[in-house]
Formats: sequence, C-alpha cells, structure tokens
Amino acid sequence: MHGIPLKPTVELQAVHKFYGDFHALCGVDLTIGKGEVCVAIGPSGSGKSTLLRCINQLEIVSAGRISLNGELQGYREIDGRLHQLSARQIAEQRRRTGMVFQRFNLFPHMTALQNVTEGPVHVKGRPSKLAKEEGNALLERVGLGGLGNRYPNQLSGGQQQRVAIARALAMDPEVMLFDEPTSALDPELVGEVLDVIKDLARAGMTMMLVTHEIGFAREVADHLVFMDNGAIVESGRPQEVLSNPGEARTRAFLSKVF
Amino acid sequence: MSETSIELAGKGGQLDKGGKPQDFVRNEVVPRRHPGRWVAVALILVICIQAAHGVATNPNFHWATYAEHLFSPFVLRGVGWTLLLTVIAMAIAIPLALALVIMRDSGNPILGGVAWFWVWFFRGTPVYTQLAFWGLFAVLFPRISLAVPFGPELFSIDSRLIVTPAVAAIVGLSFNESAYLAEIFRAGFRAIDRGQTEAAQAIGMSQAKIWRRILIPQAMRTIIPPTGNETIGMLKMTSLVLAVPFTLDLMFATNAIANRTYLPVPLLLVAATWYLAITSLLMVGQYYLERHFGRGHDVIAVKGGPR
Repeated sequence: MHGIPLKPTVELQAVHKFYGDFHALCGVDLTIGKGEVCVAIGPSGSGKSTLLRCINQLEIVSAGRISLNGELQGYREIDGRLHQLSARQIAEQRRRTGMVFQRFNLFPHMTALQNVTEGPVHVKGRPSKLAKEEGNALLERVGLGGLGNRYPNQLSGGQQQRVAIARALAMDPEVMLFDEPTSALDPELVGEVLDVIKDLARAGMTMMLVTHEIGFAREVADHLVFMDNGAIVESGRPQEVLSNPGEARTRAFLSKVF
Repeated sequence: MSETSIELAGKGGQLDKGGKPQDFVRNEVVPRRHPGRWVAVALILVICIQAAHGVATNPNFHWATYAEHLFSPFVLRGVGWTLLLTVIAMAIAIPLALALVIMRDSGNPILGGVAWFWVWFFRGTPVYTQLAFWGLFAVLFPRISLAVPFGPELFSIDSRLIVTPAVAAIVGLSFNESAYLAEIFRAGFRAIDRGQTEAAQAIGMSQAKIWRRILIPQAMRTIIPPTGNETIGMLKMTSLVLAVPFTLDLMFATNAIANRTYLPVPLLLVAATWYLAITSLLMVGQYYLERHFGRGHDVIAVKGGPR
C-alpha cells in the first residue's frame, strides 16, 4: 500500500491547540489514509498525545479542522462559519473512533466482558446476547478467551490493555487511536500488546499510534511522523525517517532513544 | 511471652495444583501466644459484670417502668414514625443531593449557581430553625396559588392542607440533609480517575449515561460509608421535629410519658434502646450495600495480577 495515494480517513488541517498561553500544537497538517498505520514519535511534551486526543475530541482544537472520512469533527460549517455541535452529536462522532489509553482506563466495576459489551449494548443498543457473543469473540481475538469473567484488578497490565483494545474494537471504529499503549506496562508484558496491534495492522485497520517503541514503529508503521514542540518536524516512511533523518532535532532524539 | 518455635515436619508428600509432587516441606509454626490479652479479657469481664450488676440492681433506674413502656403502643408508634421520617427524608435527600452534584458539575453556570446557593443556604442555617420555619409555612403563606406572574390566579389551595406537620418535618429534614449529602457525593465523584470519563466518552457515551453507568456505580463504593453515617445521624435528628411541632416521633413519645410519670431515666433508656436497635438494623443494610458496590475492588487479586 506504500506510495499509492489512499483515500484519506483522517485529515488534519493547520491544527493549533492552546492551553492558556501554552501553544501545544502549532499548525499540524496530517493525513491518514484508509488502512494506513501512522505512528507519531518524539520527546515528551511534543504534542503527540494532544494531537491524538484532538482527533476524537477529548481536546477541542483552538484553530484548524479535523475531519473523519470527509466529515468535519466537532462543528458544522455553514456559510464559512463554524457552529458548535451538540454534546449528543459529538458523542455520535466519537463512536466512529476507538481510543486506547496509556493507563488502560478499564471500568473497574465491570468484568472484562462487560467492559467490552458496554459500548455495543448501552451506546449502540445492540441486543445483549449478541453483544456477549461478539465480545467473547473479540476477547478471543486479543488472546483473552476464557477470561471474560475476571474483573480488571484480577488481570495483569498487558491483559488489561488487551481488554481495552477489545473494548475499542467492539464499537467497530473507522480508526483506532493508541495513546502510548505500552508505556505503563512491565517490559515483559509489552510484547503481547504489540502483537495484538500488529495483528490489527495486518487486518487493514486504520490506526494512529503514539509510542516510544521505536523498533515497533519501524516494523508496523506505513507512515512515521516525528514531532517536537507541537509541530511535525519530519514525516515519511519509517525507514527514511529513522535511518536517514533530515532534521537535526530528529537525529538528536533518535540518538538518545537508540 | 513464649518463644516462637519452628519445627520441621516430615516430608508431606503432597501434590501441588499441577499434580507434581512438592519437593519442599511446609514450615510447621507454633503461633505466638498472647497471654496479656487473656488477662485483659478477664479484667474487662470483671468490670463489665460489676457495672451491669450495679446498673441492674440500682433502684434509680426503675427497670420495672422501663419494661412496662419498652413495647407500649405509644412508644411503638413513635418508633414507627421515627423510622418512617428517617427513611422518607433520606429517600428524598439522596436523589436531591445527586441532582445538586450533577447540576454543579454540569458546566451550566445557572444550574451550578443554584446548586451552590442551595448548599450554602441549607448547610449554613440551623436545622432547628429550618424546621420551625417549615412549621410556620401555613402561617407565613396561608394560601398556595398558581398564577400568571403579576396576572390572574389559576389555582389556589389552603397551605395547611399541603404543608401538614408531617410534610414540614420531612421537607425540613430532607432539604437540610441534601446539602450535606451533596458535599459527600461531590467528594466521592472527585475521587474517580478522570480517565474513566474519557474512556466512556471515547466509546461515544452521552453525559447522562456516563453518570448512570460509569460514575455513580464507582462513587457508590466511597459514598456509602459516610451516607450510612448520615442516615444514622438523621435517625437522631428526627428528634428535632419537635420544632415544627411534629409530635409523633419516638423522642417526643418517651418525653411525654416521662413528663407524666416524673420518671425521665427509664424512658430515656427506652428511647436509647430503640435508637440503638434501629441503628443496628441500618448497619446490616449498609453491610450488604457495601458488599454489592465493592465488586471489582474488594475481590482478591489472582496470581499474576497487577501488584
């Protein structure tokens, strides 16, 4: 799929984000094609996570536009002016993106299976018997068959994160967003989560990942972006960016992490 | 203090879970003895028996009068009303407090302001005064009417028919309690990780569903113990409905008998016995509620689980 122009799934145009006076994102343009895996790397505080959180509107952009499959996120544009969508409409848009968090954020009062079926049953209104079957199949897919009745605190970090991935997949999203999915894991548990993500990439899921696992980024990414100080400094195929970085900042960062 | 001795037992020949023979022997440990505790127990027992004997044989306690009134219909009616006032006032205060917290957190400045004012007012004035005002409601506002503002009256009714002493007592107690509960609930919701709301938003949940499905069940765990506390406090606060005046509760009943018989002590004991009995009953209920909402937290982590 490399090199072939893809139908864009996610499109960011000149996105800025301010927290008070702090300029967290400074004019980011990014396109993620259908079935493409885009990985963002860069130092802490470079705006990678903020960018991801803007895509599913956990953060509201200060300037610029984000669209998902051609649909503007968060606003309706009438005669060149942006009109804020209602909370209900924003919730509906969010159903089309799946998000996996660094700290898993599983619902602790629900079992693994209930975590996975919560969205389909209580957001989409799917019949609970059907949702359970599909939920069990998803848990099977992330390698957790038979653990559906465990509560999150009875699972290891890697297992919890895989439940979180299954929970996001259960909504049948058009794009999956991963916010440092392995940063809170013990080293020996990282592999099991990355394997699940690799499987998803092979299955053609459109994804954007923020990660510090450079080796993994090289392996799984179709498109790698390096961010620093709220801007995309470098962008391209992972081999190019990692082996032959054009920017001094990228070189400095890579020399520290390798 | 006896010394702890550790002996090695003979090879157990037990099998572990996998069916393989164990190649280790469990330590056989003689537990530590605590002779000091037995001395303390004996001492406490002696003191308790002496105190109980002293109280039981003291004629000033008038145990015959106590026994006579403990189950008298007049007292039992008081118990019923006190329990009813407690339950109804809490049943109104809890949803009211929840509404106040949601209003305060809604981001809507008008709703937030109303909730803030409510808590400020009902927490800042004495409940006795509030009860007295609710009791005077019919005097202050003889008729309640529905009318177009500054226009014709549509409907009107005598206040005394609506704000009866029982209603005044319940409204007074529940409004006051809702202000305190609102603060307890707010603390409970604040203790929940922000990531829970974000995870729920990320699967496209509406704010109402996030409250109902994610936040309230999780907050329950931390909210229940202090709310149980408040319920027990409410049980005793019902004795203040005298201010309305509402005259059917337990404290009023026992006081009335005491004033008639000139024997306050046995009737105070009657009241104390019933308050203690109801409190014990409420504690049983709280135990089951805590067990229900503790799920996912109080379960023992299995092997290989986190931490």
